[in-house]
Amino acid sequence: MQPLELCVDSDLSRLADIAEFVAEGARQAGLSEDDVFAVQMAADEACTNSIEHAYGGRTGEVRVCCWTEGDQYVVRITDFGEPFDPESVPVPDTTAPLLERSIGGLGLFFMRELVDEIDFTSDAVQGNQVILRKRKSVS
Amino acid sequence: MKIETQHLKRCDLITLQGRFDSNTAPDLEQALRASMDEGIYQIVLDMEQVEFFGSAAIRVLIMAYKECRARGRGDLRLAAIPERIAQVLNLVGILPLLQTYADKTEAVGSF
Repeated sequence: MQPLELCVDSDLSRLADIAEFVAEGARQAGLSEDDVFAVQMAADEACTNSIEHAYGGRTGEVRVCCWTEGDQYVVRITDFGEPFDPESVPVPDTTAPLLERSIGGLGLFFMRELVDEIDFTSDAVQGNQVILRKRKSVS
Repeated sequence: MKIETQHLKRCDLITLQGRFDSNTAPDLEQALRASMDEGIYQIVLDMEQVEFFGSAAIRVLIMAYKECRARGRGDLRLAAIPERIAQVLNLVGILPLLQTYADKTEAVGSF
């Protein structure tokens, strides 16, 4: 597939467009519909983090790029807001009784669970980047 | 995204349609809040036409579930969950904790 790029304003109302864009790329890359759904959800959570936390309500740009590398579909999400430290987010206890459960950290949990590899980088020039990699399932 | 609430004899039936991401989760919260503010804590969510249910929507679900369960016979029950959404709820371990039903009729009848 040809690499694809989408740039949107940091507004939660653009999440649906981002999801559609990531899903379309994933289909072009030949992912199964289950994997399309998974990578779309991981990207949605990453973009939510950019908009809500990195920009924190300020106006900025969220850049989404998709391409393939071998049998992997790769999605890179870039923002130029506050750097994000994934280590600072507590891991949710998904075995605790529902009534006792704290409800933070779910977005990051999903991102880690739904793709095969995830990398976070922060750089003054390149911005904050989250790179998601999803391998094509062997059917 | 569309949300419709029907007041039934023993519960509220809230029918959800479309995407529930961080942008639309507040609408879900508002709908659940409206029922609870009226003193209705027996609620069925009809999930059949849900296409996407992200972490923000799950947080709303857990919040409302806790609040309903804290009232006598209150409960938040889910009907007709699409397979991929069920997998997501299962991933965070909340699916086995919720009462779920194959369709809305069964869920409404459970109250």
